[in-house]
Amino acid sequence: MFYAGDAVPGNGVSPQNDVLKTDKKEDTLKERPSRKNKKKEKETIEKPSVKSKSEKKPLVLPVEASFFALFLTVLLGGFYVVHSVWAAAEAYSAPSIVLTSHSHDGLHVFDDFREAYAWLSHNTEVDDKVASWWDYGYQTTAMANRTVIVDNNTWNNTHIATVGTAMSSPEKAAWEIFNSLDVKYVLVVFGGLVGYPSDDINKFLWMVRIGGGVFPHIKEPDYLRDGQYRIDSQATPTMLNSLMYKLSYFRFVETDGGKGYDRVRRTEIGKKHFKLTHFEEVFTTHHWMVRIYKLKPQKNRIRGKTKKSKSKTSFTTTPRSGTTKKNPWH
Amino acid sequence: MEFFVARSRLTLIFSLFFFLSLCFRSSSSLSSSPTDLKILTAERRIDLASHIIRVVLTLKVQNDGASSASDVLLAFPPAQAKHLALIHAAEVAGKKRKKTLHPLDVKTSNNAEGPNGAKLYSISLRNPLSTGGSVSLEVSYVLTQSLEPFPVEISQSEPQLVLYRDSALILSPYEIKQQTTVIRTPSTKVESFTRVEPSTHLRTELKYGPYEDQPAFSYTPIVVHFENNNPFAVVEELVREIEISHWGNLQVTERYTLVHNGARHKGGFSRVEYQSRPTYSGVASFKNLLVKLPPRVHSVYYRDNIGNISTSHLRTGYSKSELEIEPRYPLLGGWKATFVIGYGLPLEDVLFESADGKRYLNFSFGCPIAETLVNKITNKVVLPEGSKNPSVAVPFSVEQRAETSYSYLDIVGRPVVVLEKENVVPEHNSLFQVYYDFHPMFMLAEPLMLISVFFFLFVAALAYIHMDISIRK
Repeated sequence: MFYAGDAVPGNGVSPQNDVLKTDKKEDTLKERPSRKNKKKEKETIEKPSVKSKSEKKPLVLPVEASFFALFLTVLLGGFYVVHSVWAAAEAYSAPSIVLTSHSHDGLHVFDDFREAYAWLSHNTEVDDKVASWWDYGYQTTAMANRTVIVDNNTWNNTHIATVGTAMSSPEKAAWEIFNSLDVKYVLVVFGGLVGYPSDDINKFLWMVRIGGGVFPHIKEPDYLRDGQYRIDSQATPTMLNSLMYKLSYFRFVETDGGKGYDRVRRTEIGKKHFKLTHFEEVFTTHHWMVRIYKLKPQKNRIRGKTKKSKSKTSFTTTPRSGTTKKNPWH
Repeated sequence: MEFFVARSRLTLIFSLFFFLSLCFRSSSSLSSSPTDLKILTAERRIDLASHIIRVVLTLKVQNDGASSASDVLLAFPPAQAKHLALIHAAEVAGKKRKKTLHPLDVKTSNNAEGPNGAKLYSISLRNPLSTGGSVSLEVSYVLTQSLEPFPVEISQSEPQLVLYRDSALILSPYEIKQQTTVIRTPSTKVESFTRVEPSTHLRTELKYGPYEDQPAFSYTPIVVHFENNNPFAVVEELVREIEISHWGNLQVTERYTLVHNGARHKGGFSRVEYQSRPTYSGVASFKNLLVKLPPRVHSVYYRDNIGNISTSHLRTGYSKSELEIEPRYPLLGGWKATFVIGYGLPLEDVLFESADGKRYLNFSFGCPIAETLVNKITNKVVLPEGSKNPSVAVPFSVEQRAETSYSYLDIVGRPVVVLEKENVVPEHNSLFQVYYDFHPMFMLAEPLMLISVFFFLFVAALAYIHMDISIRK
């Protein structure tokens, strides 16, 4: 708000007396007097002397031009408000749990995270534990209301390394680790179908490194081809057999007619057709961004050593030869 | 001589007693004696298309007894009587095109139960049926939770098969001369049905009958095993809060707990199969629900406890509004979802003044979602502060209680009328009224409160400014 006392020159009064009631020129634009000035008004005595001074100084600008300038300034202020609101809505309001994209028929909303958490909170038992990478720990606790193994607090590095090792191990070893932690559901985030870059395959190198830092049987070079983590046909067998690869790409080829093109890594996946032996898919969200798997319960009978079972759902006890990896849980 | 007089007096007394007892017996038969009426023709049409079963029973009742009958009894087996949500009866006058239906009162009969725990309902006729006269009645009733999924658990790629248990012969306290039962299934896939000759199966219709000369309370149990993939949407609990604000708005908040009540889902859920083969995978699941809202609805929101759900479409119109909602995930057997739907209505559409000066709210009682069964509905009508003497007019029986709720600028609280009902079907979507007294003076309470607060604040400020508590003058 600017005061009439500033725009009308020729008013030689000092700023602290800009609220003079006796000066009729300023009367139109000034409103309620503040209490401070009211008190000072009692001491003012120079009321008649102001009027004589006001006639002397000439106007700097013609009145029409100054009003036009005022109008433009007000317009600028208004547009600033509009622009700020727009910038806040478009650029600063990405909640990162609801993703949007502009398609030809309006706004397309990717609400997969909340879909998965709502499914977990309503369709699983209260005591079921969910294992995922630590990024989703707090969200799972708050929205899905389920116990997690590791969360964003990241205060227990060995525990995170355990989950990382499980994600990097083959299915059976991963099942053993998760079973020892009493986990019922495993949650992975997969962005390959829609092109969401912050998914678990991109974070996989950390799972390998952190897991390898605590458990020496996880060696990072096993997952690298030419110093790079790859998931296409040039990927290492350890990578293609890891739980993270399998849980992310389970039946992914069926979505685009057999090619299995990953939109984030921009390549076709290496192992396209495979079955899960120790896990069962219980939920995948609408855009495949969150995939939830359940640990299959152990069979009551363990088949004998000589028979290698053809059925995909039974567990075999292979004889322990010298080249098997040392499982830290035995 | 005196001996003869005494004897004659005694016989007189005895004959008087005998006559009186006869009178009493015949008067009891005047109200309802099951053996006097006879049903000439009975036709029952059972519609098994959705999980809410609708049955229409057309009876032609003839009075063969000696005295006129004022009501007609209906019998239901105990399992059906437990799940009976609604029963309506009407007298049919005229034939074919000129058929007019006069609604009649149906209530549970005061008589003792029928044999084997059969529940009796009595229809009060408009005019008592004279001896030899006949009347045509049309009874329609709704059964819920009567389709049993069998197999109890199905995987994603299996269709849903359910069992329906009933009787080929219509259970009735009267003798039925001729009767037929027609059962309509939603599709042509009927796995099996009990054969009670003569019974025929033609595409979607199963016909049992005609059966002749069946005695009263005859019952032949049958089981029909058929495929029903229509959404078994059941709202376990619906709590609806209707808040009246005399400043011109009615705010409705509905909290739902939705469950898929069909065959439970077993095994995993494969999204690729669900998305790529919708006619084969997940046929018994449902994704969309249609909510019918009043026409001039505004500020509609659809959210759950973790935020707004964006998968919804609202279409407003002149006669009604339709909100098509999708829960966050498709519901397969046994899966649950909870959500809240809220909307506002202009007050002039729902609040009216009755003839005796009372105001009344006119609102629909049941659940606005199409074809859903509600296990328990609780309607809370929050009346503005200062309302007195609330009373309710509902066309069916509900449980009523009163509460008080406190909201903005409330001193004594707002009276709340709570109406509860169980087993609510879409046919219960009729209007109910809540009457209350409200003196217009109470409208000024809120503005006066605000005005006085600011007024006293400014007066205090003025007083403070004009006070001079300095020592020096």
